Amino acid sequence: MNRSRLLYHLVKADFLERVRRYSFLLTLAFSVYLGYAAYTGKIMLRLDDYRGIYNSAWLGGLMGIVASCFLTLVGFYIVKNSIQRDQQTRVGQILATTPMSKTFYTLAKTISNFAVLAAMVAVMALAALCMQFLRAEDPHIHLWPLFSPLLLFAMPAMAFTGALAVLFETLPVLRGGVGNVAYFFLWVALLAGGGISDLEMGKPHHDSLYFRDFTGIASVMSQMRGGLLQVDPNYKGGSSLNIGQNAPTKRFVWDGVSWNSIQFLARLSWIGWAAFTALIAAIFFHRFDPAREWFPQKRRILPAWANGVTEPVVHAVQKNVHLTPLTRSAPTNRFAHLVVSELRLMLKGLPWWWYLGAAGLFIACLASPLGASRQGIVVAAWIWPILLWSQMGCREAHWSTESLLFSCDHVLWRQLPATWSAGVLIALLTGGGLGIRLLIAGETNGVLAFLAGALFIPSLALSLGVWSGSSKPFEALYTVWWYIGPMHHVPGVDFIGTTSESSQPLRFLVLALFCLAAAFLGRRHKVAYA
Amino acid sequence: MNLTIANVGKCYRGNLWALRNFSLELKPGVLGLLGPNGAGKTTTMSILATITRATEGHVSWNGVDIASQPNMLRSVLGYLPQDFGVYPNLNAVEFLEYLAAVKGLDATTSRRRIDELLNLVNLADVRKRPLGGFSGGMKQRVGIAQALLNDPQLLIVDEPTAGLDPEERVRFRNLLSDLSGERIVILSTHIVSDVEATATDIALISQGRLVAHAAPEELLQGVEGKVWEWVVPSSELNTVKQRYVVSNTIRRSDGVHVRILGPDRPAGSQPVLPTLEDAYLFALSNHRAGAVAA
Repeated sequence: MNRSRLLYHLVKADFLERVRRYSFLLTLAFSVYLGYAAYTGKIMLRLDDYRGIYNSAWLGGLMGIVASCFLTLVGFYIVKNSIQRDQQTRVGQILATTPMSKTFYTLAKTISNFAVLAAMVAVMALAALCMQFLRAEDPHIHLWPLFSPLLLFAMPAMAFTGALAVLFETLPVLRGGVGNVAYFFLWVALLAGGGISDLEMGKPHHDSLYFRDFTGIASVMSQMRGGLLQVDPNYKGGSSLNIGQNAPTKRFVWDGVSWNSIQFLARLSWIGWAAFTALIAAIFFHRFDPAREWFPQKRRILPAWANGVTEPVVHAVQKNVHLTPLTRSAPTNRFAHLVVSELRLMLKGLPWWWYLGAAGLFIACLASPLGASRQGIVVAAWIWPILLWSQMGCREAHWSTESLLFSCDHVLWRQLPATWSAGVLIALLTGGGLGIRLLIAGETNGVLAFLAGALFIPSLALSLGVWSGSSKPFEALYTVWWYIGPMHHVPGVDFIGTTSESSQPLRFLVLALFCLAAAFLGRRHKVAYA
Repeated sequence: MNLTIANVGKCYRGNLWALRNFSLELKPGVLGLLGPNGAGKTTTMSILATITRATEGHVSWNGVDIASQPNMLRSVLGYLPQDFGVYPNLNAVEFLEYLAAVKGLDATTSRRRIDELLNLVNLADVRKRPLGGFSGGMKQRVGIAQALLNDPQLLIVDEPTAGLDPEERVRFRNLLSDLSGERIVILSTHIVSDVEATATDIALISQGRLVAHAAPEELLQGVEGKVWEWVVPSSELNTVKQRYVVSNTIRRSDGVHVRILGPDRPAGSQPVLPTLEDAYLFALSNHRAGAVAA
């Protein structure tokens, strides 16, 4: 088989395997939602009090930016499981016995990731077309201005995102939850490094900006601003991509992106970066042989033979079977025992430095001035256990222990609340320094907000874990939520209540209850005869 | 103590019936549920272990429908699934302690019982080693130990000898025999020798239907006078295979010794004593022939 045919079949098999899963429909639904949000004005591109007439050029630019900005974040989490799936289905072990090279494999996975993300972009292209018909502000369809931003801004960004997902999967440190959290910060850095903040009104920008502009947002914005300045010389230069704000009152006609060879080259460079990233990933790819991992696994969970331990010899001759008769615990002891077991399960295998960090943050919360503790340190203290919370509700699916657990009596009403209680205990222990400070200071509202946060986080983790069967949704959503809410003290999103202004404990208590109910419903659906 | 399975059926998406009109009445002893791959054994086990709901029919434990009171059965149930995982960072003791807590067992007595069980399945020496480093056979032994944690009255083991070496298999069969006294043990497998050694009753299942339910002796009686051994040249083996149900072939210096199942004696063949494997294959071939005719 020639190489291009091999590559084609690798990509095709992987792509078909993904698109035939129900989760792919959810993925497309997200693209449809983005299109709908743009149509209803929930997502709005505004230049001070202006927006463009909904012609092909403006809609193309809007959709290109929306796709580039949002799908590069959400899409990463969607596609970051292609190597893991080959590992789990053991197809990888079969592939490893073929002459396929590591470079070929990571390249194929990058293309397959890109194909999935490109399907999402295609849905948004369709949404842009529909939107122009429905908005009916300009009936003339111009295909190039409508689709070129999606093609030239969004697609290269998708290629790079797909390659990053492969790279993260090949690096043991970034493969799991740490990678899921780290990607969010990388995405923020890529967006910030894109150069949009460097744009100055009326001044030409350097061509290097195009090469730094991962999503294309700076390139589009600079041209939109230039277009508006010609219409309104008093325009001050404000521009933003808003979610859920009031619509601008003024409109102007924008003719679309004026492409030049530098811009083309800059966009193509992101495809080059994607290929380069796939090659880097090939260096770290273990080819389904744990012994090839760049970072050695924990010695204690290596196979017994690797530690010089021989398997216990079994003799066919039977020993006498004598088993101690059992007694059942009292219901309250039984639940407390289970909570301790769940807590132990959560904490088992953590490195020493995790405890050191948690203890340091606890003491810092306790010893710092109340303002610093409430607005800064507790925020760090409640991102620290993210990988413990993210296991809640999905651990059973991840480690295939569902059949062992779900055949136990009262599993829904005992094990699930015990998991949740252990999650709450983790929150109270890690952020406890602030709780004590607030109690001492007699800040009733602060205490209430702290408790609401401690109840809300595990409830959110449990519901997402139960419904998705994966730790990824919580790791991604919580990181974004934590960054927007507690980090920036945004009212309505700040679940910790870091300031008096942003504190809304009642809202998060209600949300916690809602999440808890959702978790119970999800688990009830999975346990037969619940 | 009795388990009643009455007209149980399970339909999956796409109108695929994995099990249909399955009925059994079980008393203490070992039931060997024998059938080829894809026959519906695991579906049956999942329904009995309250993991999956039956689409039709009823399962009752001591006269109580498990759909209305599943916990009555679960509290006396030990289940070893065909595929199961473990938490890799826990060691064998911690994993069993965790499951004991989920099952609501008293901490002190369960700890003593865990020690005994680990001794029984020969894992006492590696009890403090994380499960992530265990081999397939060692994990299977942990699975056996967890199934016995709550001293189950109903023990369901699905393909339990998969991944075990020959000595472990013998040991596990002996263990099952020893445990079977005052409890119902259901052993699902496609390996006839596993059932031969332990089962007091055998249920044959094929294409989602119960083909036969009888004691091993009755199954053997049913095939008596229908098993023949015939020595044929290698060149005729394919023709023989096309005309008869062949249960075994052995190449020897005088030709191929073919074991044939059927009511009529082929010319030149000798009658031989049937084995359980002969009875199993005979029943399955009859069932398939009946299904094709229908």
